[in-house]
Amino acid sequence: MSDPLISLILGFIIVSALMAFFFPDKGLLAIWRRSAKDSKKEALEDALKHVYDCEYNSLSCTIRSIAGHLHTNMDKAAEVSARLESMGLITSNNQKLYLTDEGRSYALRIIRVHRLWEHYLADHSSVKETEWHSEAEIVEHTMTIEEADSLAAKMGNPLIDPHGDPIPTAGLELPELGGVHLNELEKGDIGRIIHLEDEPQAVFSQLIAMGLHNGMQIHIIDKRTDRIIFEANGEENILAPTLAANITVKKIEDQSEILDDFTPLSSLQVGETGIVKGISRALRGQQRRRLMDLGVVPGSKITPELVSRAGNPVAYRIRGASVALRKQHSDLIFVEKGE
Amino acid sequence: MDKNNTDKTEKLLATAQNLRWQVGENFHESLMESIYSDAARIADRAVKVDDVKKKYDWDVKIDKLVTSRTFGFPLMFLLLAAVFWITVEGANVPSGLLASLLVDFLHPVLKDFMLSFSPEWVAGFLIDGAYLSMAWVIAVMLPPMAIFFPVFTLLEDFGYLPRVAFNMDNLFRRAGAHGKQALTMSMGFGCNAAGVVATRVIDSPRERLIAIITNNFSLCNGRWPTQILIASIFIGAALPAHIAGLVSAGAVVFIAVLGILLSLVVSYGLSKTILKGEASAFSLELPPYRPPKIWQTLYTSLIDRTIFVLWRAIVFAIPAGMAIWLSANVMIDGTSIAEHFISWSNPMGLLLGLNGVILLAYIIAIPANEIVIPTVLMLTVLTAGNPELGAGTGVMFELESQSAMAEIFRMGGWTALTGINLMLFSLLHNPCSTTIYTIYKETGSVKWSVIATVLPLIMGLVVCFFTAQLWMLFAN
Amino acid sequence: MNPSPENCANCPVHNMGNLKKLGVDMSDYDYVIALAGNPNTGKSTVFNNLTGLRQHTGNWPGKTVTRAEGGFIYSDKKFKIVDLPGTYSLLSTSTDEEVARDFILFGQPDVTVIVVDATRIERNLNLVLQVLEITDRAVLCVNLIDEARRHNIIVDIRTLGKDLGIPVVATAARQREGMDELLKSIEEVASGKYTCNPYRLSKVNPGIRKAVERIQNEIKEQFPDLPNPRWVAMRLLEGDQSIIDAIKSGELGDLKAEKQIHQPETIQN
Ligand SMILES: Nc1nc2c(ncn2[C@@H]2O[C@H](COP(=O)(O)OP(=O)(O)OP(=O)(O)O)[C@@H](O)[C@H]2O)c(=O)[nH]1
Ligand SMILES: [Mg+2]
Repeated sequence: MSDPLISLILGFIIVSALMAFFFPDKGLLAIWRRSAKDSKKEALEDALKHVYDCEYNSLSCTIRSIAGHLHTNMDKAAEVSARLESMGLITSNNQKLYLTDEGRSYALRIIRVHRLWEHYLADHSSVKETEWHSEAEIVEHTMTIEEADSLAAKMGNPLIDPHGDPIPTAGLELPELGGVHLNELEKGDIGRIIHLEDEPQAVFSQLIAMGLHNGMQIHIIDKRTDRIIFEANGEENILAPTLAANITVKKIEDQSEILDDFTPLSSLQVGETGIVKGISRALRGQQRRRLMDLGVVPGSKITPELVSRAGNPVAYRIRGASVALRKQHSDLIFVEKGE
Repeated sequence: MDKNNTDKTEKLLATAQNLRWQVGENFHESLMESIYSDAARIADRAVKVDDVKKKYDWDVKIDKLVTSRTFGFPLMFLLLAAVFWITVEGANVPSGLLASLLVDFLHPVLKDFMLSFSPEWVAGFLIDGAYLSMAWVIAVMLPPMAIFFPVFTLLEDFGYLPRVAFNMDNLFRRAGAHGKQALTMSMGFGCNAAGVVATRVIDSPRERLIAIITNNFSLCNGRWPTQILIASIFIGAALPAHIAGLVSAGAVVFIAVLGILLSLVVSYGLSKTILKGEASAFSLELPPYRPPKIWQTLYTSLIDRTIFVLWRAIVFAIPAGMAIWLSANVMIDGTSIAEHFISWSNPMGLLLGLNGVILLAYIIAIPANEIVIPTVLMLTVLTAGNPELGAGTGVMFELESQSAMAEIFRMGGWTALTGINLMLFSLLHNPCSTTIYTIYKETGSVKWSVIATVLPLIMGLVVCFFTAQLWMLFAN
Repeated sequence: MNPSPENCANCPVHNMGNLKKLGVDMSDYDYVIALAGNPNTGKSTVFNNLTGLRQHTGNWPGKTVTRAEGGFIYSDKKFKIVDLPGTYSLLSTSTDEEVARDFILFGQPDVTVIVVDATRIERNLNLVLQVLEITDRAVLCVNLIDEARRHNIIVDIRTLGKDLGIPVVATAARQREGMDELLKSIEEVASGKYTCNPYRLSKVNPGIRKAVERIQNEIKEQFPDLPNPRWVAMRLLEGDQSIIDAIKSGELGDLKAEKQIHQPETIQN
């Protein structure tokens, strides 16, 4: 080649252009593909879900509330609602919208897909928890109920989604969960989080950022009109009552279930011994099971043995075998320090 | 099944479903707890340990050393370099002996024998094509493999590999990959197809896909003869003989390490884009060291692995040899097919710092990387048109010494850049067809197979292009 | 279905239909033997020893990832033996353990040889106890006994055998130590000369025991011949779809056709 400089520049331009076009998610191709997807069906199904939500929470639904939910104008919302009505999924009476039986099962099907997918993401993928909901919002419109059923079968027919919501059964029944809002607990009460509301996103992100998750043990330390102070897995947190209403808890009745030691396994030094007390509920699915398969169950003795170069992972001696664990997991195993 | 029974089973399942809501998520935990407490009781009665401390000390000492902050990594590279060095040094002489036996001595004998009863083209096709390519592959592949595999197996049997995974996990975690990817990568040093199958030990689908796609960055046994040869010719030959082997091994280790780094970089890129996600749990049991039975290991790994891999290479080399012979001997408009292709693809090859011959060789070698070098040599002679070298058009031959080979490369217009880029391209190109097929079988997806095939190829083209252009920019 | 044990004490018990679906050809063989166990306990080494084949072995967990089959003849009977990938548990849902799990659950081998590491017995017993919940035809192979000796670990084989209720053999497979005894035990269990009385979990946690017992009783009522109703009950409580399907189709213990385990490895993403 006569002039390498020109080739270099040309090569650079070509590579950049190809990247700009093909780059996953942010490339032109990806953007074009996203914009080309079926937005009509989505609007219909989202509206239907909204009507279902109203019914579930015993509120009443109108075209205006649909418009609000879909972030669109009244005309569009009216169009959507008329279409749903002509499909026999909802009926209207006196401006208010009601589900037909068929509409209810349709909505439950969407919810089943949504929650199953969240469960899949939480237990079988490594997608961040703040993204579970938004990913499921997309998948619920594309996955068929048959696909969802076979996914459920593969995952061992899970009962609740990672936020604690019950997953509608294959027969489209929706079991009740019970529980009370966090701000209904009294000072000194000990409960377990059974549900974290994932909407609005901003509040959910805040709860997640505080490290809260489903299955966590909550101990109310103090309760005032403007804030609730509580210990979650041994760490103190403060929440405004309005935010606390997004958390549902169940009081722990069985005293033996109450954990009082939240020393993380990662805090043990080489040579120290700990007794496993429990595994945080934040560790889910297959990863949790694998740990138990390896002998990390309450009562097991565990001793750090080898620390790798960067201090992570660490190999622990447990039930006669040596097992390496990453810190993000040894943080989630609670032990009582012994000897 | 009659109605009554169906009702009963329905009822049974419904009861179970209801009870599941009651026992809740703790079921599995309680069960495991019960099992382990029984296990502990039984083990307690049956197992007695005498003075464990003293005996375990050895294992603990070794572990402390191989995973230590200061010595862990250097020890790893040292071992890798040692394995390659033993291979390079040890393989030289037997390779030469095999070549003079199979090529210099047997080839003319067989050719004469064939010519005595069959037409020229049959003898050429079978002996100059099929036989010679097979002979070449045996001569080049057998000695290094017969050394590499047993040495590697000794390390494996001792229990060193899980420690490598343990040491490297931190890097893999940051790349969003699974710690056991270090294990599958090590398997890939033997054979990428085997490495891809080995990814089954990774139970997260996302991380398994990353391990599959990046396995190709482990130099497999089909590629490191190429690396060793080119390194000795373009790097080792410039040095005094007594350190040439060491430096060549060093260069090969450099490429191998570059492959490891690239697999980390690509894993990172994949975790940030099409395989988005965070690293999942990593739990790896570190087995106790078990002193290997040296002779038994040497014997079985020679028989099982070496012969097996060699057989595969031969199976692919024979038809490839025939194809090369044909492409060099079937003429269109007075020039052979091979020459047509080479002169057509040469400009593009030069742009990449390679040449048309190398590009054609990599197309012919899609079924097996082992045959790249023989193909390159033969095609170079063909296009450079040197009548004294080589026994005739389309013949793959072994040359007495590396300097003769260097001579051929020089005639073919090779420079140091060509050598370097060939080493890079040998690391970065599409996996062999067996590996691609294995990837397809393991993932069950065309999409991922295509990505795993095309991604390294594109990387290779880009890397070679920029290396070449920068080289030319600064060399002038 | 199989002939029931009362009629024929030393008939093979394997389920031909399932084995066929699992891709195991049993023509020409009398018994099928499965090699199960935690990863890296020497299963493949035992397999190589018994069959003379050359499965790859290596000192790290997860060396074997696919099933391998071989055969041998002992006291005039033809045995087919299946080497399985290592598994930590039959209760988990991980895909890398699917091959082993499905074979033990649905292949109904005549004998399941559980290979354990003599230096890590306590952890290994987890899987042993699970296997014993499923089958009452098992042999425990306490392998790597040479390593245990090297580390001054003494395993009381007789106590272990008494506690578990199955034949227990100490072996050092790489040195071929104890192989004859292992063969003898396999043959005795396969032919029914030895009747196992396997250990079953004693104290299932009270919180779940009631639920398990309730379902267990219903299962016993509907499938009186079933050898392992408690196991089935526990699987139901974990929502295991393959068991649910088997109950629905009335062929409990049978493998559903679509649950092909030839290619469990397909990744969906
Ligand atoms: N010292 C000693 N080593 C053994 C014995 N049996 C097996 N080994 C070694 O232990 C290692 C593991 O053996 P494998 O047969 O591969 O174990 P496996 O159970 O098939 O392992 P996976 O396939 O990973 O589940 C190998 O390095 C064997 O050489 C034994 O009795 N004594
Ligand atoms: Mg094995």
